[in-house]
Amino acid sequence: MHRHPRWEVAAAVAIAVALAVSPCHARSHHHHVRGAAHSAAPRAASPSADKTPAPASVALGEQQTELGKSGTLAIVFDSRDVQPVLGKLVRSSTGEDMGRLVDVVVDRDGQPRAAIIDFGGFLGVGSRKIAVDWGVLDFSREADKNVIRAELTRDQVKAAPEFKEGGPVVVLGASAGPQAVPAPTPEQKSPQQGEQK
Amino acid sequence: MKLSVAPQWPHGSRPDDKPVGRTTEHPGKPPPRDLAPGEPPPHPSPASLRGLDWFVFFVANVQTGFGPFISVYLTAMAWTQVEIGIVLSIGSLVSLLGQMPGGAIVDGARSERFVAGLSVAVIGASALIFAVWPSYVAVLGASVLHAAASCVLGPAMAAISLGLVGHDGMSERLGRNARFAAIGNGVAAAAMGAFGYWISPRSVFVVTAVLLVPALVALAFVRTSDIDPKRAHGGEPEKAPQRPLSSLFVASRLRPLLVFSASFMLFQLANTAMLPLMGSVLTMRSGRWATVLIAASIVVPQLLVALISPWIGRRAQIWGRRPLLILGFAVLPIRGVLFAVIHDPNVLVIAQLLDGVSAAVFGVLVPLVVADVTRGTGHFNLALGVAGTAIGIGATVSTTLAGYASDHLGSSAAFLLLAATAALGLLCIGLFMPETRPQPSRPTGPDGAGVIRA
Repeated sequence: MHRHPRWEVAAAVAIAVALAVSPCHARSHHHHVRGAAHSAAPRAASPSADKTPAPASVALGEQQTELGKSGTLAIVFDSRDVQPVLGKLVRSSTGEDMGRLVDVVVDRDGQPRAAIIDFGGFLGVGSRKIAVDWGVLDFSREADKNVIRAELTRDQVKAAPEFKEGGPVVVLGASAGPQAVPAPTPEQKSPQQGEQK
Repeated sequence: MKLSVAPQWPHGSRPDDKPVGRTTEHPGKPPPRDLAPGEPPPHPSPASLRGLDWFVFFVANVQTGFGPFISVYLTAMAWTQVEIGIVLSIGSLVSLLGQMPGGAIVDGARSERFVAGLSVAVIGASALIFAVWPSYVAVLGASVLHAAASCVLGPAMAAISLGLVGHDGMSERLGRNARFAAIGNGVAAAAMGAFGYWISPRSVFVVTAVLLVPALVALAFVRTSDIDPKRAHGGEPEKAPQRPLSSLFVASRLRPLLVFSASFMLFQLANTAMLPLMGSVLTMRSGRWATVLIAASIVVPQLLVALISPWIGRRAQIWGRRPLLILGFAVLPIRGVLFAVIHDPNVLVIAQLLDGVSAAVFGVLVPLVVADVTRGTGHFNLALGVAGTAIGIGATVSTTLAGYASDHLGSSAAFLLLAATAALGLLCIGLFMPETRPQPSRPTGPDGAGVIRA
């Protein structure tokens, strides 16, 4: 409640409206990640056109609606199609515990480039914050909605340098072992990233 | 203001008796200000002593949930790292600033048992708030409450111990306290790790809150009539402090206390970051087994503490405090150097066993030496707060220092830096810390000056 009260109220209202107006949308799951990744252009353009507080919704166009008297545009998603990611457990493809997702690194266009995972440790002792490529994360493979799959193993990420804000961000890639990607030139990786998924 | 507090113990204690049994205060030659002549030696009932054992155990249980685990839990509750950082910083600031007021509160209290019970209840309540209401304001409030209550609880437990057994039984009692605290820490770390992993991070705080009940039950077994409030505060001063600041003034005049506090600040400056940094190294070097190895690094030294603390308590009475202090301080730089040169994760965990030795010395001798130097002042707990503040500063700076060093110079250099800091602490203890065991058979000047400089 304390963080973005207005947004949360708006979201609650939106859900209420959605329940009243529409039947559930059953959509295939893969789309929101991919959709978000491929929709940079419309997203960048749309906020100037209207004052929608949730521009990402334009990409999917699930269910457009207007909120109250203000007429603010809003889009309604089915909860199966989208999910918050902060604090979610990350597991490797072999089911190893990889820690929790604690932050998302975006580039200048707002595209997610890496997830910061609080990796390892016991009772909070000895954990390390490491950055893994956004592309290695799979948000729909696990049955448990609170778990995100990462196509990496613990042995691959253990030696990664610790993530520090303000320093260069070393992002672990999908298939190879640790790959150092200097922060200023992350663009080089983006084409492969889309194909890997 | 006349200050004859520092040399109090050489005059005040028995001429040349050997260490006496665990709970017998020497009735023949009581120190002038400690016990009134003819006052009976403490006779705590076995029920009180066992009650204190288990109270210490359950308090250690309760406190385990509130360590670095808070950040794991709040992360799982979708908190941002910035918010978590703010909550943790405010908590540690309060626990730093609260040390001396907390000690003063306990010194002023007439019922140590009530104060201890109240602060445990507050800590249990804050665990409950963490579990059921993890919103920003509530968690911030709960962590402030927890920090403040802990500042009172630590001195209160020491005061109950001293009030029960008196100065002569204190070293043995503190050895026992350290044993039960270590078992409590070890058991709780293992159990809470399991709860956090297999059930949920939230369940850890539910368990913590529930543990409040056995803690209070154990405390109820400690009879109020067994705790002498005067003794619990380190004896009564001849005259009550006139000015509000005079109690602090008395404490600051005790030079051994300041040397001791400074040394332990260096100790903690070196010690606090060592385990997390070593855990981070384990995470980096040992992929699959890192978690198990870190758990072992936390739990196994606690078992060693449980094993040797009573022995340390007894030795402190036979050998004196200095040899043990030097032992505890000497082990720390060795551990730092070993961490810097060893690369095999399994051997690192073995080197971590040394932590048990210094932790046992720390657990027994901090309250013991403070009790020594404040004997007959009535400010035992305030002085404990002074030492606690120094230790807290060391602990707070430690992680920042080690983090900076390991980022810029690598973990080996960071370990060596910590080892050098520890060596400085050892030097400080070795050169400037007098023997504080109340036994004038040691060569001390008649005016007590000899005790200031060893």
